[in-house]
Amino acid sequence: MSGAWRLLADDGAGASEGLALDEALMGRYARGEPDCPPTLRLYSYRSHCALVGRYQNLAAEVDLAACRRTGTEVSRRSTGGGAIIMGSGQLGIAYVDRAPAGQRPREIIEQLSAALAAGLAQLGIVATFHGKNDLEVGGRKIAGLGLYVDPADAMLFHASVLGDLDVEFMLQVLRIPAAKLADRAVAAVTERLTTVSAETGLRYDAAMLRPAIASGFAASFGVTLEPGAPDQTELGLADVLAASRYRSQSWLSERSVSEDASGSAVLKTPAGLARIYLSTHGDLVKSAMVTGDFNELPAAVVAMEAGLRWRRLDGEVIAAVVAGSGVADALGVPAERIVAAVRDAGREACQGATVGQAGSAGQRQLPEPS
Amino acid sequence: MEQGEQVIVAGFPLALDRRYQAETHMWVLPTDPGRARIGMDPLGIETSGTLAQLSFVPVGTQLTAGRPFGQLEAAKFVGPLVSPVSGTVLAVNDAAAIDAGLTERDPYGAGWLIEASLSDAAGDLSRLLADAAEITAWFAAKIADYRRMGVIAQ
Repeated sequence: MSGAWRLLADDGAGASEGLALDEALMGRYARGEPDCPPTLRLYSYRSHCALVGRYQNLAAEVDLAACRRTGTEVSRRSTGGGAIIMGSGQLGIAYVDRAPAGQRPREIIEQLSAALAAGLAQLGIVATFHGKNDLEVGGRKIAGLGLYVDPADAMLFHASVLGDLDVEFMLQVLRIPAAKLADRAVAAVTERLTTVSAETGLRYDAAMLRPAIASGFAASFGVTLEPGAPDQTELGLADVLAASRYRSQSWLSERSVSEDASGSAVLKTPAGLARIYLSTHGDLVKSAMVTGDFNELPAAVVAMEAGLRWRRLDGEVIAAVVAGSGVADALGVPAERIVAAVRDAGREACQGATVGQAGSAGQRQLPEPS
Repeated sequence: MEQGEQVIVAGFPLALDRRYQAETHMWVLPTDPGRARIGMDPLGIETSGTLAQLSFVPVGTQLTAGRPFGQLEAAKFVGPLVSPVSGTVLAVNDAAAIDAGLTERDPYGAGWLIEASLSDAAGDLSRLLADAAEITAWFAAKIADYRRMGVIAQ
């Protein structure tokens, strides 16, 4: 790829408005529209917004009362992935183009993640797309990713890079397993996430990250980036989408046929008791966390947690993740017992789940043939 | 419906009793004259990410080759299921819509996606890969490509 891309930069977007503009930018890339170069939007939300993934159940991911109390706006992305908080410390990335014919989603995500990693490398940070879910530094998440292709073949790649993060605030508004750990919650999260500020020792916000990320994309794709602005059509469509979709109760309250739940199980180790927490979506693991009296959280434990994310609660799948992580050696526990504990936690989650309130199976959010 | 011959290619099952659209990894299995069952092959599934949900257009919807007949929601991806043929949707797989894992576990059998009547069976089917040797070579080459790119596990 070569040539000049359009670069958009803005700060302080509202939850619905930020997402609406991203979707509006897809219009010029729809099938039948004249070819035009990709758009890269590097932006931030106003502190704070809580954004859930396309198929997540909002109330299961976000403490709505806490959001009201703290003035946190909520909305739902069109892209997949998990719940995040966004604000001045996190850089939002929206890459918009026509979906490349014949390329698979994971190929596209891999290529765009490499561009993000190239941007972080300019700050001296070595990030890898390990585990096929998030961009990580030394096993700790530094950026989340998601991809959406619409029925007209326009493509939106979303990412959020953690320049800085108020972990205590995140624990207030997002329902994540670590929140159950009370006084150890902040430590548990910071052992598993990292930020550009933590990695560099300098305090980075979204605006400070923008030049490096832009440069990473330009270098990775061999293009130049020309600063531009959304046109009137895009701005008008964004207004319509913000009102009709991203602020609408029907969009926010959409539910999947799969129920969200959580469960835990105890694992005896030579060093004492550990507990495995799972958050699940149907039979998928949304997140996993192992807690215990570790002097230092073993890297193999974090690798297992990352390996379980977005995998199915299936004995063979779990066994492969456990074996690949090296967690059995790290904890001094036979792999079969770890697999059994993960399955027990999953079973508890499934038992706690109630029947979802989705419409008839498979009839939700249907794309119109176009 | 009985399944025909399957072979294992570099660790992935491949059914040789049907036709394939290379770009979308969709398979088409003619069932009766002018009718076919449609699904996604295991490579298409693996390169989408762990499936979270499948949604389909209603029975009776007109299909156009190259246009969506539903939506796939995976861990990090949301996007259209693209039809390899034109026609009319006769049935959708409600079991797969309730449990997308079914399509991962049995992509050529119980995990099928839709059934359709074909408006241009001869034309649409002629554009798909049909020869067993050609299908096997394409499938093997894609696995090698995806592994080289790190998109699927070694």
